[in-house]
Amino acid sequence: MSQINFDAATIYGAKLSRRGFLAAGGALAVYATLAPRDAFAQASAASHSLDPTRSSSWIEIRADNTVQFRTGKCDFGQSSIYVAYPQIVAEELGVPLEAITSVISGDTDRTPDGGGTFGLLRTNVVNLRKVAAYTREAILELAAQRFGVPKPQLTIKDGVVSAGSQSMTFGRLVQGQDLKLVIPVRGNATDFAGLVVDGDPPLKPVSAYTIVGKPLKNPSLAGKVTAKTMYATDVKLPGMWHGRIVHPPTLGSTLVKAGRLDGKKFPNSRIVVTGSLVGVVASDEWEAIQAAKDVAASTEWTPWKGLPGHEGLFEYLREKIDWSAVPVTQGAANKGDAAAAISGAAKVHSASYEFPYLKHAPIGPAVAVGDVQADGTVTVHTNTQNPQYLRKGIATMLNTSIENVVIRTYAGSGHYGRSNGGNAGAEDEAVLLSKAVGRPVRVQWMRPEDLQWSTQGSAMYSTVRIGLDRDGRVVGYQSDHFGPPMQDDRLIGAVLAGLPTINAPSATVPAPHQAQLLVRDNWVYHQIPNVAEVGHGTLQIGQQASPLHTGLRDHSMRTPIQFQQNFPREVAMTEAAALARLDALQFRIDQTNEPRLKDILTRLRDASEWQSRPSPSPDAASSGDRPVRGRGVSVIFRDNGFWACAGHAAVTPSTGVVKVERMTLVVDPGIVVNPLQLKRQVEAGCLMGVSIALHEEVPFDEGAITARDWLTYPILKMAEMPEIKLVLVNRPETGVYGQGSETANALAASAIANAVFDATGKPVRRLPLRPDLVKRALSA
Amino acid sequence: MLTLTVNGEKKQVASAPDTPLLYVLRDELGIMSPKFGCGLAQCGACSVLLDGVEIRSCITPVGPVATATSEITTVEGLPARWAKQHAQAMTESSLHPVQEAWIEQQVPQCGFCQFGMMIKATELLERNAAPSDDEIKEAFTTSGPSAHLCRCGSYAAILEGVRHAASLIANKNKSLV
Repeated sequence: MSQINFDAATIYGAKLSRRGFLAAGGALAVYATLAPRDAFAQASAASHSLDPTRSSSWIEIRADNTVQFRTGKCDFGQSSIYVAYPQIVAEELGVPLEAITSVISGDTDRTPDGGGTFGLLRTNVVNLRKVAAYTREAILELAAQRFGVPKPQLTIKDGVVSAGSQSMTFGRLVQGQDLKLVIPVRGNATDFAGLVVDGDPPLKPVSAYTIVGKPLKNPSLAGKVTAKTMYATDVKLPGMWHGRIVHPPTLGSTLVKAGRLDGKKFPNSRIVVTGSLVGVVASDEWEAIQAAKDVAASTEWTPWKGLPGHEGLFEYLREKIDWSAVPVTQGAANKGDAAAAISGAAKVHSASYEFPYLKHAPIGPAVAVGDVQADGTVTVHTNTQNPQYLRKGIATMLNTSIENVVIRTYAGSGHYGRSNGGNAGAEDEAVLLSKAVGRPVRVQWMRPEDLQWSTQGSAMYSTVRIGLDRDGRVVGYQSDHFGPPMQDDRLIGAVLAGLPTINAPSATVPAPHQAQLLVRDNWVYHQIPNVAEVGHGTLQIGQQASPLHTGLRDHSMRTPIQFQQNFPREVAMTEAAALARLDALQFRIDQTNEPRLKDILTRLRDASEWQSRPSPSPDAASSGDRPVRGRGVSVIFRDNGFWACAGHAAVTPSTGVVKVERMTLVVDPGIVVNPLQLKRQVEAGCLMGVSIALHEEVPFDEGAITARDWLTYPILKMAEMPEIKLVLVNRPETGVYGQGSETANALAASAIANAVFDATGKPVRRLPLRPDLVKRALSA
Repeated sequence: MLTLTVNGEKKQVASAPDTPLLYVLRDELGIMSPKFGCGLAQCGACSVLLDGVEIRSCITPVGPVATATSEITTVEGLPARWAKQHAQAMTESSLHPVQEAWIEQQVPQCGFCQFGMMIKATELLERNAAPSDDEIKEAFTTSGPSAHLCRCGSYAAILEGVRHAASLIANKNKSLV
């Protein structure tokens, strides 16, 4: 066994050390430095890990040339954890993709970093890429000492380090040694965004990439397609019982008297009451469902009214909210004097736009297994976008140390942002029921509960004013966005039970739970000289009137806040182009100085066979039984990527039915990490966007959400699917990795609304483009 | 005790006859591919084949399907179903052409609805080996108790998956002749 002659080395601020020599195996493992307040992370890892010596390692290079990495993020079906991440890590390390044989994700006792499953390629992988860069530099350090040459003389290819005639695999370099690399980090794993890797190790130049950019398949799909993958809903523990919750009839009701459990009919069931949280637990799932229904029928609640009803929502927002109660926020691109420029403009477009509440609406309702042990330790088995933040929420609820809580994660139904602050629903209830009955309990929400007791993407209304000069140039742009907050991460079971949670939204709590409304639609029209965008926030709708301090609980959902603000911008820009008698696509090109945006709009014109002319179409009609056709364009800048979309639609004025015929998307995300996976992500995101555009609005009355099934919250069906054409534009020179599906969501609604305007000559300024609302817009 | 034939095997079950088949499959027999989505026959996540016809296990009581002649197939049983239909030997890694196509075309996103989607695709292709795009869309939208819903929006991938499965089946049948 050859040995290297060092005890410790410093690598760009990271510390490489050898903890000992081994008779067999050998590895280089990478750890985060831990500040004193993070000491629990190591302690809990040691007490709950499968392999205490390796539990918090980020990347491991092993003697057999295999590599394992860990991430606190989870895959929700977009494949990034299993495909894009290995591509980026392998690329940065300089090993073949096949060397990465293991990815451990999500579980709080087996992953080091925490943070939410969002911005996977925008922010989170930047962490992992740096970890890989530190690791590669450590490998080079080992090789430099072994070969007796300076580091700059070394080269890396396919997991082999070479200098002149000497060469050695990564595995050989670590063989027989127990090597530890400690890298600098800041923050806490249980922070909303998790640990952040510090320092600036040298990164591999993008021009040298060979693995990033390949259209690789997602290895996790085989397990799903063969039903071998365990989903969260499939978890069974020894002695586990099934729980169902008897939820209140309104969002502000409290318990008067729990109903009676008929022990004769339901001999294997128990009722559990904590505050206003009523649960039924049974050894048999079907018995639990029936017993809960029976108990619900005789349970008494206080009545409550505190919501405006969805039909009166926008009037309520305009007239009943005191928008001065929460400080306003200013857009980052604001400049000049928009009000003055618009008041002196030759023509002014001025309108108001309305965006309804949306459900995340996973096909699988919320589900979790809680397992509270006699010693007070807790394990939650679920699917979540932010396991460490859920861990913190559960510990807060139980008033226990965070060390006592472990979150184990599984595949699950998509959450689309619902659990990016930890919880989707049912996790806390499973824990409370388990604690009460002293055995593991699985809580499965039923379909009505998942629609009525989960959070929703926030509603918003926006006023937009655009001033044009005599030549159709925009001289001023002004928008004011009004809406409730977007990130309620309180555990609803804990709220009902009267147990501790994080703070309710207010103007004084820190981000991301604040009531202030940020301006989040990244500005792209930099040729406009005067811009004033303002965000006006308020509390959750119903929050103040509710004894539970919860109303219509709002939460980020794909492209949160930006979608709500991009929709009015992109519809208003098309209406302003029409006012100037200009083509809406060229109008956008003329208002931007961003070459990437100009390029994708030019490509969109070709790819969509766009007819350049002003809207409305020469054949436009707003009445009659004959379908009229139109096309609309929209753009967005999100996660370092530029996106442009053209929607072609047919409208039947007499019925208000909109049929989306064709969607064309041109995407420049920066570096295309994996074109095959990005294509699938964008297509799917686009169709979710079409669903939102055509169908979606959360219905509610004065006390409760009234959606209870897929008829009352309809989503897109396959027969409604338009033809989709997609153009991916790879721009390695940008040095940024492109994001996938969620941005696609936000493009469809504005493009289709603009197509309806083109087809009919009547603007539609409220979503969804449902027959009743389209007819109302056509007769306006 | 009831006797249920699932994926070619006879199983004794203790559940009461009014228990929905979904809970019997998942909780008593450990067959986990049918998923609970709505309990209302509105989404298709729980679909299984009953004698080759798609049913929604979340609303189907187990009693009436526990007969001597009724045969239930779930995604776990698709490889054996194909092998039996084509008198082929099964191996550990055998897949039904629909499953092969679902991997080849990278169909699933979260995958939760895809068990029902693959059941629907199998039902369709057993009746119509070369469906048109309109026939595929109709199968997944109007042919059953409800449309098969996908929240991730994988419909374009599903369409390509069914087309690909149809071509795999055509090629396999050709090579058998």
